Amino acid sequence: MGLIQRAIEEAGIPTLSISLNRTITEKVKPPRAVLVGYPLGHPLGRPCDKKTQKSLLQESLTLLRDIRVPGTLVDASDRYRFNGTLIPPV
Amino acid sequence: MSIKTEKDKLIAILFEKHPVLVDQWAKSAPIIVNITVPWSPVTGNPAEGPVALVTTAGVHLKSQTPFDMEDPEGDPSFRVIPSTSFTTDLTITHNYYDHGDADVDVNVVFPIERLDELCAEGTVGRVAPRHFSFMGHIQGGQLTRLIGQTAPTVAAELKKDGVRAVLLTPA
Repeated sequence: MGLIQRAIEEAGIPTLSISLNRTITEKVKPPRAVLVGYPLGHPLGRPCDKKTQKSLLQESLTLLRDIRVPGTLVDASDRYRFNGTLIPPV
Repeated sequence: MSIKTEKDKLIAILFEKHPVLVDQWAKSAPIIVNITVPWSPVTGNPAEGPVALVTTAGVHLKSQTPFDMEDPEGDPSFRVIPSTSFTTDLTITHNYYDHGDADVDVNVVFPIERLDELCAEGTVGRVAPRHFSFMGHIQGGQLTRLIGQTAPTVAAELKKDGVRAVLLTPA
């Protein structure tokens, strides 16, 4: 995914990606990324957890606006972390 | 179901349940290591848009040709997802991750509804007319095609749509 991101950035459009693995992201070096603590297949977290999904999307847009150093990988807050269950909160 | 498909899906489940395996794989996998970083400075507030989504989760319209799961080097083609698409119009073809939860709620990998909601609330100014979808797990000669052809094509299409910010989601 980082390679696609780099192509879009090279075309002149600012980009930010959600990362699920630090090692891969550090190798590919996308312009801006936010590392979440979710397992593969869950970049936005749990299914049907609209509140968290929307919050992460909003935070991603804020990071896209604020990151000023090329290649920055930001750790997302603990709110976006696998806590032992992928069952959505009631 | 072919033996390859069964094997790929089993590995996907193991990787989801045990992130340490992903990390061990990533350390020795033939991933391109880049030194430089491309950079397009942000001007103004990118949330004013148009904002587009690009995913590698193998999402596509049910009416579109599925991604090729038989080529061991992957399928570097892409699918155009009109931003007016309903989630019920979408499906996922991708054997290299467990998309059981994304099948229940595609926003887990492709937050099309959440982006629309942010737009309705005014946090996002405009959503782009088109989003784009790839499948991940591209290797070998197909990686060359991705880098040389399909990724730059999508970048050019995003430019045509006047997109000012792109959020990318993996799987």
